[in-house]
Amino acid sequence: MSAIGTLSLKHLNKSYPVKGQPLSVLEDISLDIQPGEFISIVGSSGCGKSTLLRLLIGLEDQFDGEILLDGQPVKGPSLERGIVFQDHRLFPWLTVEQNVALALENSPLSEADKRDTIAQHIELVSLTGFEKAYPHQLSGGMSQRVAIARGLVNRPRILLLDEPFGALDALTRAHLQVELQRIWQAEGITTVLVTHDVDEAVFLGDRVVVMQPRPGRIKRIVPVPLPHPRVRGDVRLAALRDDILADFSDAPRETLIEQPAPLPQRFEDFVLAW
Amino acid sequence: MSQNISKFDPRGLVVPLLLIALWWASAHWGWADTRLVVPPLDVVAYAREQFVSGELALGLVASLARDLAGFAIGAGAGLVIGALLALSPLTDRLAGPSLHAVKQVALFAWIPLISVWFGQGEPAKLVFIALATFYPVLFNTYEGIKSVRRELAEVTRVFGFGRRQTLLRLVLPAASPQIFAGLHLGLIYSWLGTIGAEYYLKVAPGVSTPLIDGREHFEMARVLYGMVLIGLVGALLNAVATRLEQRTLRWRPR
Amino acid sequence: MTSIPRSVSALRLPPVLAGYLTALSRGLLALLLPLGLLLLWQLIAEQQWISPQLLPPPTQVLDSLLELYSSGELASNLGISLARVLWGFAAGSAAGLLLGVAMGLSPRVEAYLLPTFKAISLVPVIGWVPLFILFVGIEESLKVLVIAKAVMVPVAINAMKGIRNVPVGFFEVARLYRFSLWRTVRKVVLPAALPSLANGLRLGLSNAWMALVAVELLASSEGIGYLMVYGRQLFQLDLVMATMVVIGVVGLVLDQGLQLLERHLLTWRNSAY
Repeated sequence: MSAIGTLSLKHLNKSYPVKGQPLSVLEDISLDIQPGEFISIVGSSGCGKSTLLRLLIGLEDQFDGEILLDGQPVKGPSLERGIVFQDHRLFPWLTVEQNVALALENSPLSEADKRDTIAQHIELVSLTGFEKAYPHQLSGGMSQRVAIARGLVNRPRILLLDEPFGALDALTRAHLQVELQRIWQAEGITTVLVTHDVDEAVFLGDRVVVMQPRPGRIKRIVPVPLPHPRVRGDVRLAALRDDILADFSDAPRETLIEQPAPLPQRFEDFVLAW
Repeated sequence: MSQNISKFDPRGLVVPLLLIALWWASAHWGWADTRLVVPPLDVVAYAREQFVSGELALGLVASLARDLAGFAIGAGAGLVIGALLALSPLTDRLAGPSLHAVKQVALFAWIPLISVWFGQGEPAKLVFIALATFYPVLFNTYEGIKSVRRELAEVTRVFGFGRRQTLLRLVLPAASPQIFAGLHLGLIYSWLGTIGAEYYLKVAPGVSTPLIDGREHFEMARVLYGMVLIGLVGALLNAVATRLEQRTLRWRPR
Repeated sequence: MTSIPRSVSALRLPPVLAGYLTALSRGLLALLLPLGLLLLWQLIAEQQWISPQLLPPPTQVLDSLLELYSSGELASNLGISLARVLWGFAAGSAAGLLLGVAMGLSPRVEAYLLPTFKAISLVPVIGWVPLFILFVGIEESLKVLVIAKAVMVPVAINAMKGIRNVPVGFFEVARLYRFSLWRTVRKVVLPAALPSLANGLRLGLSNAWMALVAVELLASSEGIGYLMVYGRQLFQLDLVMATMVVIGVVGLVLDQGLQLLERHLLTWRNSAY
């Protein structure tokens, strides 16, 4: 019925039990995403945008409504959908190459094909020469490129990005946004980017979905009718950004953070004990 | 940890040299009880005698064999049970509290019971050394597996990993630093257990013999020789474990 | 991290009640294994599959525990042992804190003392016992000395590490406001290093208990370790096992007590405590 990479969300609702009571985090989300389209989802923290992405990738499977990828309902994780997390989530004991290869563990490709496609994707993210490096040797930007290569190496139908540049410094972030635009154009893959950076959302997205918190719902969808590749500083982008930013003019609600679990004892504390 | 080893600071020698000088002087001029303060050279002479007669090698081999055998049993049990408890919540709830309760009994309090059940010979010594090794390995294996980051587990879910794949590709590598730390700690405790076993159970050839004999015959030189020997072997085991650990865990920063 | 298990939330019980139910079921599950083992043990002993000399029935162990208690033997011997632990712990932790704080604050002190300290700590406590015996005999001072050595090492190491790990930025703040050395130690170093100090003291206390048992087994005519030796010599395993139970319980109480104190003092670190 449609080309590869059509994603459609129909009346999505999601709630978590909190202290025995259901708390609604997503309310009536409906959205149709065209093949090859770049969708940005922007919202303040707590608007459920990351939860929405977790539903799309299949890490959460308790929800009401429908998620259809090319007409098929999404159920659980699948190699047809790739994801890049905010904290790159590379395995520290694997090299760059091995981390990318991790995504191909359950792929039907032959060993030779796997090697080829890994090399291609490392090249795609401009990391040729760093194949044998360990994650602790990489900068934040390089780690995120590896994560992008890992997300794409299975040639999924859609790529999901969960605030992928949120933890990077401003210069690296700007650079990687341009890189992401290039990669997206080269691959022509349907992409959903979740971010709290309105600039980033407008710069990259064909459409920007603005979300509102408590409960998370779509406030409006802003089309960005500018051709790619885009140039930063384009006045039309700036105007759209200012328009969207006006939606977030209310001050965020201040709350205390939850206590993390206590750290386990370090081994070195014991070594010379006796 | 490692950068301290590579840099040698001669200031560290001042205190030991002063102590030895004081010791030598008080032995030489008879400032203290001559039976307590024997000349430092007596210790060296005794060490030489032990080396030449082959007693040193005999004791070392006996103790190390005992230590490693007990370590293997205790560490093996600790690894298997620790992994089982960490991977199966039901087993954890069934056996975890009991294991914690048994751990509360101080290590040496097991000696009388072990000596009744397993006698005074080699089996009893192995049981005690294995017991000394077991708990550090158990807890570190358990903690290591339990503390595998949930975020990384999500990555394996996204790539459709099965149980086996997740265990081999994620859980074991992620837990390996702490598992190795547990094995390292277990090795140190097994050495403590070896000394304890030789000391409390029936005398057998080993590195503790000079300590026991020296005390009985009031020969300070023998006691001091024994202490140095025990310390050196302990340091050696520690160094070997550290080296192995670093080699296996090269992916870690620093 | 800890989401409520689906089965419980589906029941829609009041959360408090659901919490009690999970705790209860966990408690029962935890008791299953020890109760089963106890039953098996009692059965083996009653059927005399293993000689009661090697495996006295649990009821007999309980009897001798009660007898120890009612005769006052437990209280007197435990009192003696705890006094030894107290003195050894006090001496060891004082020495350990002094050494650790000095080495932590001054790289020069560390350069002079750390290698010697490491050499001393490398020989396990048991290795020191013969030397101590030759020097001070087998009376009270031996026990205090042995326990103090066992306590000193972890206390000093943790104190040193705690101070060494105080972020440099804190010291810079102190310098910015021209704190005196004493004020810096009291307002910056100690609070920041407190978690590590407390950790060292806890390790020290559990080492103290272990060392006490070790030294009382070797040379003592009273105390909890002596009760074991006595039971072993008379081949009264029930007495040995009863003493093991006491040693376990006291060890637990000491550790938990210090942990409670630690939580009380360190509330700023994690209010979930």
